[in-house]
Amino acid sequence: MELVIDGKQVTAEAGETILQCALRHGIEIPHLCTHPSLPPFGACRMCLVEIEGMRGFPTSCTTPAAAGMTVRTNTPALQELRRNTLALMMIEHPSACLVCAKRELCDQFRPASEKAGRTTGCHTCNNKEVCEVRRLSEELGFCHLPVPPMYHQRPLERDNPFIDRDLNLCILCGRCVRICKHQHGASVIDFVGRSSATKIGEAFGRSLLEAGCRFCGSCVDVCPTGTLADRYAKWYGKPDSAVETTCIFCDAACALNALATDGKLVSAHAVNAGVPVCVLGRFALAEFLNGTDRLRMPHVRVGKVLREHEWDAALETAAARLQPYVGSAFAFVCDTTSTLEDRHVFRKFTREVMQSEHFIELTPDARGEAHVTLPDGVKAACFTGAFADDEAVAGLELLLVQDCYPSPLSERADIVLPAAVFAEIEGTAADRAGAPRPLRRACTPPGQARPDWEIVCGLARAMGANGFLYESAREIALEAGVAEAALWIAREEAPAAARDPRERRTHFRGHDIAEKVLGLKNLPLNGAAPAAVVAATAQAPRAAGKFEILEKSEIAPNNHEIVIHAPHIARKAKAGQFVIVMVDENSERVPYTLCDWDVARGTITLVVQEMGQSSRKLVLKSAGDALAHVVGPLGIPLEIQHYGTVALAGGCYGVGGILPIARAMKDAGNHVIAVVEARSHYLAYYSDKLAGIADEFMQTTIDGSHSFRGHAVDYIGKMLQDGRKLDCVVAIGCPFMMMLTAQETQPHGVKTFVALNPIMLDGTGMCGACRVSVGEETKFACVDGPFFDGHLVDWEEVRDRRVAYSAAEIQSIGRTEPVVAAAHHGGGHACSCK
Amino acid sequence: MAEATLASECDVDISDILSRYPRNQGSVIPLLQDIQDRYGYLRPEALDALEQWLGISANEIYGVATFYAQFRFTPPAEHTIHVCQGTACHVRGGAQNMAELQQLLDVKAGEMTPDGRFELGRVACLGCCALAPVVSVDGHVYARVSPKKLPAILNEYSGEQESQ
Repeated sequence: MELVIDGKQVTAEAGETILQCALRHGIEIPHLCTHPSLPPFGACRMCLVEIEGMRGFPTSCTTPAAAGMTVRTNTPALQELRRNTLALMMIEHPSACLVCAKRELCDQFRPASEKAGRTTGCHTCNNKEVCEVRRLSEELGFCHLPVPPMYHQRPLERDNPFIDRDLNLCILCGRCVRICKHQHGASVIDFVGRSSATKIGEAFGRSLLEAGCRFCGSCVDVCPTGTLADRYAKWYGKPDSAVETTCIFCDAACALNALATDGKLVSAHAVNAGVPVCVLGRFALAEFLNGTDRLRMPHVRVGKVLREHEWDAALETAAARLQPYVGSAFAFVCDTTSTLEDRHVFRKFTREVMQSEHFIELTPDARGEAHVTLPDGVKAACFTGAFADDEAVAGLELLLVQDCYPSPLSERADIVLPAAVFAEIEGTAADRAGAPRPLRRACTPPGQARPDWEIVCGLARAMGANGFLYESAREIALEAGVAEAALWIAREEAPAAARDPRERRTHFRGHDIAEKVLGLKNLPLNGAAPAAVVAATAQAPRAAGKFEILEKSEIAPNNHEIVIHAPHIARKAKAGQFVIVMVDENSERVPYTLCDWDVARGTITLVVQEMGQSSRKLVLKSAGDALAHVVGPLGIPLEIQHYGTVALAGGCYGVGGILPIARAMKDAGNHVIAVVEARSHYLAYYSDKLAGIADEFMQTTIDGSHSFRGHAVDYIGKMLQDGRKLDCVVAIGCPFMMMLTAQETQPHGVKTFVALNPIMLDGTGMCGACRVSVGEETKFACVDGPFFDGHLVDWEEVRDRRVAYSAAEIQSIGRTEPVVAAAHHGGGHACSCK
Repeated sequence: MAEATLASECDVDISDILSRYPRNQGSVIPLLQDIQDRYGYLRPEALDALEQWLGISANEIYGVATFYAQFRFTPPAEHTIHVCQGTACHVRGGAQNMAELQQLLDVKAGEMTPDGRFELGRVACLGCCALAPVVSVDGHVYARVSPKKLPAILNEYSGEQESQ
């Protein structure tokens, strides 16, 4: 049927909605709650259109296209309506960054998002690069909030192993509720409550785990905001490659879209959006592949120890050691999770090179476990996984293991060769029904790990055999007569483990997957006693150190004020100095600015933002806990003298940092103007304290929800333009904020101090980790700083050095974050539950 | 009180309630009402039983229930006091009655006394404006209430613990 959309004659198919028809013809209508995997809903009111002869503004996602319709999708009235509707949604979303005047500059300076506990703006949102709200706000030219936003201060939900949920970002589009219902028939989440108190939740405030979540991840995949996040993948940003491959954790062999960044697998999603995959495919794969203890190099036993060898040397040794066992004394043991190509090569090697009939192909049981009993007379064996216990291999004279992870078997092996596994290799797997399914390489194997067929071919060649010169798995497939594999097989329903994670497999190549993906330990299994909730970063016993936390509170979302008993530091502290904190004996050493101290009480006060692993450890502590080490005061105090009029600019944690400086500057007889910025009114803190000390106080908000709209630097710029004479400016905050402040004051020739906050290790000028370039000189922020002349600092270097270790840190969060028990209620109240 | 505690530890049996209505989605609200009538609130065990019976997840049923002001999810107090704040009661002193009760019971509107005996709530209209201002206790309506009469009304209910 024919209709007209925006003056263009288009043809609609039967049953198509106006939105579907328009999108198919390349006419973009803004939309939010609608999703290709879901039936129309009509809730968000973004896709409103005008239809001639029809009253009002129907939603194009629910209105069927009809012959003869004349539809307009982009009139000024519609755009206005959409902008206002979006503004209403943005009142309950941390939207300051969307309406920030420095949005483009900020994106240039820091294109990727920075990790944080609570997200209070786009630049600390894991969803930044793919956010649909952000894209929509750009399309609609949204730049103004009609009323101050409302932050619900809802607890961060990190009480399940795989999904982080921050309902403060939720816009209630309902996609998660609908996909859960749609894919599983019964939803574990729903809209709870009504009106402004409505939120997504489970019955009686249960956790996802308690409510029976299947951890298929579909809700995370459809969430248009950063509310729902894959905990492991969230800080890797937008993946740079996507490859469709097959999951062979079990023989359901689901098609997976494997996403990678810099060759590293970050996450995997169901290819068939209508049918979910299980927790292993969706959440466990990336963590399993990226395990830090993966076998990376060949090892050969020398005396009692396994020593690292190059491939050629290891294969030559293996070949020489295998030679005496040609014949029935050799056995090759693999299981059916090996590809058809691998198994063809294994069989050929066993029969032709080793001339043995003992090619043993185990079929894993329902849990993925397989155990072998070696035939009598076998004296040498090669295993592709941990398929035997010590007793079964006790009679062997030579044991070769080619595997992805170490195991008790590899620990006693004579030669260990690192193998790549699915998603790292090409090949063909057989599913339960025997149908061939393709494996495609989506990421790089760790270290020097190789595909199994390559390892065995190398071994065969080292033993002087012919016929093992394959270039690719495809070549083997042709020789072996493996049929061309089809990736996408239509499924009526999801595999059992996707409907009920208790049905999942537990083992792959003889390894307990949960030992590599700790979060799985929190998921119950059929036939097994319910596992105790495992906290990877187990809570340290109290009073482990002598620095007791006396008070702790979240004074603004994600900003925690911590008062610590440290009389020696309090006695010597001066304005502008910092301390280095180690939460426990194994913690990273992290510098924090001294925000206040009390000599009489013997306390120091820090304002800590939860950013990554280490600050999180700290904010998870509560009053009564003790810290292992607090070193300080460190750094050179700020030069306090009578300058005249001094403007102090503070942002984020720096609002706390300027407090002692305001006091000292005031005492030195200066006229003190404190200018502090917050993204929005609900993020402001210490306003009363600062207003009580400074001669003038200005709280700016980036979204204009309170007082002056803009950054602190905008207000300082305004003062300078108004002809106010400033004699000195001190800025403490993120590098972006300090850089802008320095740039603003430079043309006016106002002396500007900035407090640099690079990564530090010892804090005594030895390691050089904190080096910064100031003018022509290299300085150490810990002993030469933290204050430097803002006009001379190389800001791009500061920025780059601060994120130098972020990849490693993201990996460490993924590895240790199942802090299920510690994160919620139980430990530290960092979840902010009352 | 002792029996109530025991009952809450027992398994919930709502089979007779379930048999009253057709076994479909349309019966959710009447079923929830009957469950609340029996236990005074929507008990998690009862919602789980409902999930089994209807094949609708307890989470969805909870989502529906939380939309309505009539359902509650925590055990009620022994006595529920409602102070009418409707127009007629308002002009005749409903607010003063509320303030007095908050002071007498030392709770805010919407809260329960720590001993679990009284719960104080506001209500928009009880439909008997001619009797304004009204206060109801466990559904029994007291007419033309003034702050002075409130201690006597409370006494009617406070004494029963001793008499048992």
